[in-house]
Amino acid sequence: MCWHFPLAHRARDKPLSTYIMQNIWLYLYFPNLQLDALLQQNPDSYIHTQAYVILDEQTNQICQLNRIAHQAGIRLNMGLGTAAMLKADLQVIPYQQEITKNRLNDIAQSLYLVTSDICFFNDNSLLLRVHNMLNLYGNLASYWQVVQRQLSLQQVRFHYATGHSPLAARLLAITAWDQVIDNLDVIKKAIQNTALQHTDLTTKAVKKLQRVGIHTIQALLNIPLAEIAKRFDIEVATYIGKITSQINHPVSFFHPKKSFDRFIELLYDIENIQVLQAPLNQLLQSLEQFLKTRDLLTQTLVFTLSQRDEKSIELNIHSQQGEYLAKYWAVLISLKLEKITLSAPVFAIRLIVENTYIRTPDETDLFAGKQGRLSRLQLISLLQAKLGEEAVSTPTLSNDYRPEQVIQNSKRLTKAIPPFKLYALRPSFLLTLPQRLQEKVFITYGPERISTGWWDAKPITRDYFIARSQLGQWYWIFKTPKGDWYLHGVFS
Amino acid sequence: MHPTISYLKNKNLLWQANHTQPTANGQHTGFKELDNALQGGFPEYGVIDIRSQIGIGELRLLLPSILTRQQDRRTELVTLIAPPMCINSEMLAEFGFALDQVMVVQPLLNKQVLWSAEQSLKSGCCHSVILWHVSLSVTQVKRLQLAAEKGHCLLFIIRQPRQEHISLPVTLGIRLSPSKVGIRAQITKRKGNWSNNSFDVYMGAYWPELSQLEDTNVLAFPSRTSRAG
Repeated sequence: MCWHFPLAHRARDKPLSTYIMQNIWLYLYFPNLQLDALLQQNPDSYIHTQAYVILDEQTNQICQLNRIAHQAGIRLNMGLGTAAMLKADLQVIPYQQEITKNRLNDIAQSLYLVTSDICFFNDNSLLLRVHNMLNLYGNLASYWQVVQRQLSLQQVRFHYATGHSPLAARLLAITAWDQVIDNLDVIKKAIQNTALQHTDLTTKAVKKLQRVGIHTIQALLNIPLAEIAKRFDIEVATYIGKITSQINHPVSFFHPKKSFDRFIELLYDIENIQVLQAPLNQLLQSLEQFLKTRDLLTQTLVFTLSQRDEKSIELNIHSQQGEYLAKYWAVLISLKLEKITLSAPVFAIRLIVENTYIRTPDETDLFAGKQGRLSRLQLISLLQAKLGEEAVSTPTLSNDYRPEQVIQNSKRLTKAIPPFKLYALRPSFLLTLPQRLQEKVFITYGPERISTGWWDAKPITRDYFIARSQLGQWYWIFKTPKGDWYLHGVFS
Repeated sequence: MHPTISYLKNKNLLWQANHTQPTANGQHTGFKELDNALQGGFPEYGVIDIRSQIGIGELRLLLPSILTRQQDRRTELVTLIAPPMCINSEMLAEFGFALDQVMVVQPLLNKQVLWSAEQSLKSGCCHSVILWHVSLSVTQVKRLQLAAEKGHCLLFIIRQPRQEHISLPVTLGIRLSPSKVGIRAQITKRKGNWSNNSFDVYMGAYWPELSQLEDTNVLAFPSRTSRAG
């Protein structure tokens, strides 16, 4: 018995069993990726009741459209002029390959959890190798059920089809065949009836074929492959060879990235910080999903807010403790957002999370009674997000006799230092710079001479005393060799 | 009994002097005189308002009890918010504090001081917070009180002694003044109890050099004769 795990990549070797496994490929075609991404971002805006199209600016043709636009008579590859005449209040958005690609990558990421061999096709489609997954899922129907459920989470419209070769599956999916079948005869029949316009052949080649009376795949298939190669372009021959799997079709499979990188284009420019929270939360939700499925945590998020006609703002959000929960990050972000001002409207947001690490369970005592809501690292992150990193520190010591040198403040919580001799009778507060003693005081203890630091730039020779002022305050004062008196600390 | 009175009593809105319960203040302050005056010690959690000059021993009065709290709750922090000067870590370490359990917060704005205090109090990961602040309103103290209860945290607010007419809803109010033996304290406000006498707290047990008995001969400075003596 041979087991295949969905996440393990297998070499493209044939199974050892005697029968030759039938190849099945599943093609998923996403015609409206950019539009779907917009819809998903704005679940309750009026975009659902208005005609929207995505325009490919290079060809000036419509490449994506929503249902309302379709009802108005607008079709794919239609010119903008014609489309505008069909619907007066048509909303046109330029095509951006980046968004489509990103979205497709997300879908592939999510499908990777249930199926192993995925490859990208033409920026808007995914090809799945099915036959080696059937050992795990048993049969095609249950495999398709799992894939379908995973796709439904993505809220995206798609067409699908199975085929015995990648191109056959592609051809059927583009014509919206929408069937998952492993019966070769049914598939062949469906392919044969397809018109040549839907194939990947160039329009020039299709015209050439039509001129000699070949309109469907079937007509083309009736001619032997060698004949096709002789009479027509080599391009036609390879295509037919690949569709009938007489010629091998090499594909390169997708490997998921370790880091999270997502870019969202906003439907409207956002000028208000409050409004910005909603798309940010959406990004955080998908980050949470990403980290949760991998059981990872992260400490730093980098947001890039692209501003129109201005430099983009980079927001770095740190958490002392690794986190994945969106609601926790949302608190830190809202504190950070209080401090920034937008000089121009924001039109896109990108979130990059580079460093992640495996989550380790917290060591909390179940029987300790009161359980804090926050851990100390969370509290520090919270304070640092609002007040700035410099505002929060923890006192540390360094081994030196000079009072100014002994104390140091560190931004992070540091572990205990190796012990060295500490001196009693040190004041609780130190002045940052010693000040001239201005008032009359009574010496109660001293002197204690500190003469050190001759090896570096800050040598000191001081006689320290404890003194009491007339108001009853306890001072830590010193006398220099010249006879000047200074106040250096207060015994609070 | 009048129904309104019994209603109010049931709602816990009415307090009768004979119903004073000895509040269990288990937290010893480390000073005998103060423990006696507080009948036990500091409350377990709440807001303690301390009116004091700077430098007369006001912080040292709190250190023994905070150290006990730190030893009881080892995973939690003691937070110092907006100290007026640089905190000397050597003194804290020498007194026995684990420095990695101490956090110093120095906000730039006055508004952020109270925000930091509230966050630290309700976080549940601080056992004590010391706050240096000037003025407080009743609502601010109420918020801090609620946060302290939520996080089981003790908040000490150290303020300059100024005359104020409003009485703040704090758990405990103490007024401190200088004294040669240590510090002179007066309990100005306490839940369920009151006392008006001021008393001296002897600090010589911890800091013999910072405590003088009344009749020691203090050397006047800077006269030449005294230095010779």
